[in-house]
Amino acid sequence: MLEIITPLFLMLIVAGTFIGIMFGAIPGMTATMAVAVSLPLTFPLGLENGLALLLGLYVGGIAGGLVPAVLLGIPGTPSSLTTTFDGYPMSKKGEGEKALRIGIVASLVGGLFSLAVLYFFAPPLAGFAIKFSYVEKFLIIFFALTVLAALSSDMLLGIFSGVLGVFISLVGTYDISDGGNGKLRLVPPGTEYWLDSGFSLLPVLIGIFGLTAILAQAELGMPKELDAKDIHVGRRSTFSFSIFGGQITNLLRSSSIGTFVGMLPGVGGSAASLLSYSYAKTFSKTPEKFGKGEPAGVVASESGNNGLTGGALVPLLSLGIPGDSTTAILIGAFTLQGIQVGPLFITNNPVTWDAMIFAMLIANIAMFAMMYFAIRYFALLVTVPKHILFPLILMMCVIGSYTINYGIMFDVWTLLIFGLFGWLAVKLRLELAPFIIGFILGPSAEVYFVKSLESFGDYTIFFTKSWIAAALWVLIIGSLAMSIVLAIRAGKNGTQDG
Amino acid sequence: MTIKRRTFLAATSAIAILATPVALSAQELPGNVRMVIGSTSTGGDTYQNSSIVAEALGEHLGINIRVDAVGATEAFKALERDSSGSTIMIFHDQSYLGHLYGVQGYEDPFANYVVGPTVAINPGNAYLVPADSPYQSMEDIFTAAANGERVRVAIQPGGVSEIGFSAMKNAASVMSPGSEDNIVPVNTGSQSDKNQAMWDDLADVINGSIQANEQFTQLPEDDATAMRFVWITARPGTLEQAPAEGMGGTSRDELLQYASPQTSVTLDGAEDFTFDKEFFFLFNPDMDPAIIDQIDTALTEIFAAGEIQERQKASFFIPNFLPSEEARAHLTEKRDTYGQVIEQISAE
Repeated sequence: MLEIITPLFLMLIVAGTFIGIMFGAIPGMTATMAVAVSLPLTFPLGLENGLALLLGLYVGGIAGGLVPAVLLGIPGTPSSLTTTFDGYPMSKKGEGEKALRIGIVASLVGGLFSLAVLYFFAPPLAGFAIKFSYVEKFLIIFFALTVLAALSSDMLLGIFSGVLGVFISLVGTYDISDGGNGKLRLVPPGTEYWLDSGFSLLPVLIGIFGLTAILAQAELGMPKELDAKDIHVGRRSTFSFSIFGGQITNLLRSSSIGTFVGMLPGVGGSAASLLSYSYAKTFSKTPEKFGKGEPAGVVASESGNNGLTGGALVPLLSLGIPGDSTTAILIGAFTLQGIQVGPLFITNNPVTWDAMIFAMLIANIAMFAMMYFAIRYFALLVTVPKHILFPLILMMCVIGSYTINYGIMFDVWTLLIFGLFGWLAVKLRLELAPFIIGFILGPSAEVYFVKSLESFGDYTIFFTKSWIAAALWVLIIGSLAMSIVLAIRAGKNGTQDG
Repeated sequence: MTIKRRTFLAATSAIAILATPVALSAQELPGNVRMVIGSTSTGGDTYQNSSIVAEALGEHLGINIRVDAVGATEAFKALERDSSGSTIMIFHDQSYLGHLYGVQGYEDPFANYVVGPTVAINPGNAYLVPADSPYQSMEDIFTAAANGERVRVAIQPGGVSEIGFSAMKNAASVMSPGSEDNIVPVNTGSQSDKNQAMWDDLADVINGSIQANEQFTQLPEDDATAMRFVWITARPGTLEQAPAEGMGGTSRDELLQYASPQTSVTLDGAEDFTFDKEFFFLFNPDMDPAIIDQIDTALTEIFAAGEIQERQKASFFIPNFLPSEEARAHLTEKRDTYGQVIEQISAE
């Protein structure tokens, strides 16, 4: 083990983490993209050094998504969507720096927690994860979808927006790689050439969050008095570690959810942060503050999505099954070196296994050090005048959309279409966050729903399949009940206020 | 002066006209080439194999070749748009099997594109059963089907994963007509979905690969995830070229037990069905043939040097370079054979 820890090994982890943070921080660039672009470099580097680079990119890329989510309200990666819910309002209140520091500490805790779980419990947890068949996976996605109700300011409109998101996510081919029939559905005649693969997630996400904000600002105009000095970087409310005093349960719960959801192949990081956020809100004494700049929301989201990093490696290294899209690319690093990844990987490759754990540990520490101490520089982004900042964001959104699927022009059109849609949707009082959650979770919900019925034959299976399914129903009903209670309470308060 | 100018213009035009075909015939791959592949995975065998070939070809010709994992539909679109040679494609048998199975987005590659040189084979296409399965061999599976037992096979429909399943049905029909109806597909997606189908007892047999599933065959039988190979579709000649140590804990000789002729899945009662997943180039039909010649020549030299074969073998690929013309003839014959199997099964 010690012979692997060379200056090059350490340098690659740190460099990978730094580049990963940059990828995560630029709207439209993701951790997956960072790892994919760097994959060919790993062959000449050798397995351990190559993995050091890729794992640094992975950890940095996931954590970097926090920066634009807090400062610009644009999720850098799909899994930092929920960070925008409270991080951006905090930033608007002049607490951007505080929100970033909270997010970074939460990211570190989530990352280290999942790493510990990976190291000590990977094989038995992978054994448990395979008990989740199509039915249980569908119920987890359904559970995440119940967040729609809790996040909406108007429950009916919120649910409608979410269902619309699901509907639009299903446009295109029911892909054979998902076990589908390879046929087109919901595609208007004459648009098959462009829409056969549907709308890509990332251009939709940055269109809705990035372009919509720019269009809304363009509509308002740029008041002369709005100058750098009027945009608060965030020194109004200082950060202190005591903020976490009441957040230990939230941190551990969200890290556990992130790690566990990461272990379930095909469920995805967005579900991890959504579930963490939903739980934090449900168990909070002040749920009404969520969505308006509540630090606990940032803690839940960031510890949840960083918990994913170790979790997604559990099935990869214990079963050879990637937990998410980024770890699917990591398999390439092993196969390029002729290494099999499967149930015997850890036993057969103890040195590589230890090197990976060590690399993840250093990457998390490097991520924390780089982001925590560079926050002031990140936060300066907000002081850039909007007439300079917005064109730059727009340019990065376009580049990100074009490159996300390796150069498909329709993805740029998707960005523009959904930017415009978002702008119109706000005017129609549709809710954007539920829409995008529906869009993100829709395809997995469909596949697991259809496959459950194909495999088991009838609807009762969703209730009778296993004790896990029964437990998930309890959580789903609890989440829905809580949303209704909160909505009624909010309605009463509104009446009293009025 | 006027005459001189006219003469000059005429001469220039004539030279230009004469030079055009010369310039075209001398056309070469541009300095920056985009190699699109028919898979969106950068962790899969298509990306891995294409990366090896792109690196060797780029180095040999002194150009940059970037591999883009855009997936089949987008790759075909990109190829269709660009006849300059800036975009080339590498894919495998899925390109024509998708068309034969009628999958959306798959046109006939032999009619719509130019099929180029083959570069490698992935000999890993395999079928597996749970370690505690009553089926010890393919013979047991065919016997069960003939006895009216339903055998569920997890596949990804519409291509490489399905062709072995079609062959199973075809063999069942040859050996015991009517028994093919008892071999039924369980349509799934990724390898992880197929494994999960086995662990959930939704499938009796799954399609997999030596690379992805071999370690599961090394687990103790009482492990809930343990599996056994029952069939490897590769030609024996292909597997014999694999390193003697085989893959993981399974030697080449052990792998050969699951392939023809030791494990027989008959094609027509006389010959066995075999399937090698071969990777090959696809070009825009209007691309200058000189570029194809350039790629053929470069690959001939690269494979003659021998280094690329070592790298392919290290990743459990079998080197299989055939220049464009030979590759086209070979793949056409292969397509016709599988076309007949699919047609026969569909007709029944």
